[in-house]
Parts: sequence; C-alpha cells; structure tokens
Amino acid sequence: MSDLKLQRRPLLDPAVADLINDMEQKQAESMLPRREREKKSRERAKIEARRDQRATYDLPPAVRKQVKDLAEELRLPASQLVTLALVRFLKAYEAGTIDLSPYLHSSASPRYDWNLVLPEELLPAAPKKKTRKG
Amino acid sequence: MKTIAFANQKGGVGKTTTAVTLAHGLALRGLRTLLVDLDPQGHVAYALGLPKSNGLYRLVCLGEPLGKVVVSARPNLDIIPGDKHTEKVKRHITLSDFRETILSDQLQRSGYQVVLLDMAPSLDVLHVNGLIASDWVLIPTRLDALAVDGVKEILSTMGEMSSRGHKFLGYSILPTFFDRTTRETLAQLKELVQAFGSRVWPPIPQDTRVRESAAYGKTVWEYTPETSATQGYPNGKQRIGGYQQTLDRLVEVIGV
Repeated sequence: MSDLKLQRRPLLDPAVADLINDMEQKQAESMLPRREREKKSRERAKIEARRDQRATYDLPPAVRKQVKDLAEELRLPASQLVTLALVRFLKAYEAGTIDLSPYLHSSASPRYDWNLVLPEELLPAAPKKKTRKG
Repeated sequence: MKTIAFANQKGGVGKTTTAVTLAHGLALRGLRTLLVDLDPQGHVAYALGLPKSNGLYRLVCLGEPLGKVVVSARPNLDIIPGDKHTEKVKRHITLSDFRETILSDQLQRSGYQVVLLDMAPSLDVLHVNGLIASDWVLIPTRLDALAVDGVKEILSTMGEMSSRGHKFLGYSILPTFFDRTTRETLAQLKELVQAFGSRVWPPIPQDTRVRESAAYGKTVWEYTPETSATQGYPNGKQRIGGYQQTLDRLVEVIGV
C-alpha cells in the first residue's frame, strides 16, 4: 500500500477554474459602492500596466541587501536603482569595457553552457543572520 | 484514425463553426483531416467558401468510393460536403441492413488521421450513425438552459449506446458564445462544472469576427487568427479559452 502512488484527479479544468474565480471576483466587485469599485478598477489597471516591467531574478542576499540599504539611504525606489545599475552594466558590456571571461565556468545544466561564478571579493559581505540574543 | 463527433440536439450552439475551425486547426498542425457534413443544411462547405454538394449522398446511397466524393478544402483538409440530398441518406439508411454502422464502415479505411463529423441538431438514424462511428464526442453548448438541456439529451443517447456495447473514448463539453460579463453565464457555467467537472473545457468567447469569417468563406485561422475566439481571454501572461486551447485539449485526449 505504501508503494502505491496516489494522485488526486483534478475536479475541473484548471483554466475553467481560473475563469470562474475571475468572474466571481469581478461580480463581487460589481456589488461594491461606486468609490470602492473605482479604486479596485484603478488598482487593477495599475497592476496590468506594470506587468511588462516585472522580472524575477535570483540575487545573492548580500547584493539584495546592499541595493535595499542604498535605496533607503538615497530615498528612492530600489527598482529604479537596479534599472540604473543594469543600464550602466549593459552599456559598459556593449562598449567592451567589461570582460565576463574570468568568471565563466562550464555548467552541468542541459539548459546553460556557462555559469557566472563571481569571486568573493567582488561581492559585498553577507548580511549577518539575526540571532535570538540579537 | 480517430473520429470526433460534434453534437448537441439543440441548434445554433456553434457545432459547424467549431467543427470547421478545429478541422482546419488540426490540418494546420499537419494532421490529415477529413470533415464530414451530416447536416442537410450543408454549411460545412459554405463556411469554407465552397459550393454545397451531395457528397454524402453519393457516398452512402450511390456507393461511390470515398476518394471520388471528398473535396479538397485546404492543404491537409478534405471534406465530404452535404446538402438537401442528405435527407435522402437518412431514408436510405433506414431501409438498409446493419444500418447503425453504415457510416462507420465507410470511414474505417479512409486513411485520414482524424475524421470530424458535423452532426445535425436532431436524433435520427444519421445522428446515431455518427455517434457509433465516433471515438470522442465534443458537445458545444451555449450557456443557456435550453442548450444545456441539449447536452443532457445527447449524453443520455450516448449512455444508451454504451449500454449496448459501443465504447466511446470520452466526451467533452465546450461552452461557446461565451459572454463573461453576465451573471447568467457564470451561473450556468458553475452548474455545468458542478455536473460534469473536468469534462467542461475552457470556453470560446463570443466574437463577431467568427461570423464575419464565415461570411467571407474563410476559417478564423485565415480571417483573423489573433481574435479572442481563437486566443481566448487574457489572464495575466496566459490566455483562457479559445479554439487554440480547445485544439491543444483535443490533440491531447485523442492522442494523435
């Protein structure tokens, strides 16, 4: 019995489930007072408009923290700071002033040929983990 | 060879449009496809910009070989057209021996990878022939009480056939003319899903472009491939529903 791999069967098509959720949400919104309805609609439009600007990348925690700290210090959005850093990097790469070859190590993944392995001295010091004693 | 019937005893639910669109979609994916018009209205040929003719009558009543009655509609897509002579086919079948399997026998050695049967909104001997010949039944339905009742009727007919030994691979229900802005649509969809679960496929949005394409004798893939009826509703970065998604589901379930 323990060897038996049981798998729950889907009760409904996932796309149909998404559609029903979406329609229910919109129907619930239509019952709200006008002000709240308009607010929801604005929020949705904002999310839609930002969708193409969103990206997810894995970053070392130390780099992430450094960006966050600098953004707080300069009192500006971290996204804009990262955009500036990336634009500067891409321009420098195009101009040939950045050489990736010292960091390239062959990758075992079938998806990639290379990994970029950065030396420790290039990365900021890892943030200290908080202990209970503080 | 896999045979798919498009059936609903209620008329005007999008059977012919769905059959023509999916037949051309399968052909565009490189599958040798035959679409048979079992409806005396003969709209399959019309929707593809071809003249109606008595192909089905010649095949079944005059005994002409399949190769002589098929009409090439598009690359990889042939049709057996129908017209008012299809009524005579019903009478001919009624008077024949082994009448339930006449169509199935004719299509057995056709050499196509997929055969699609566009059924008439009726329950006569030709309808039964179509269901007997089919592996999978796709039931297009509008989300209104009358059309949903038609779904129950066709399922009850299939149930009777199964009890007499015919084995269907399965069936799916395809909501058509889907208008997601009305409460009635949501209520009917939920009822359908409650009764039939994952057999309900993502819907085909209501889309005027589909009617326009038929008027020009083009399929939606030719007339307006990026319209909501083919691509579905945007849902974040994905899409929900539309004929493209129906094609994916169909290819998956019939395994071609």
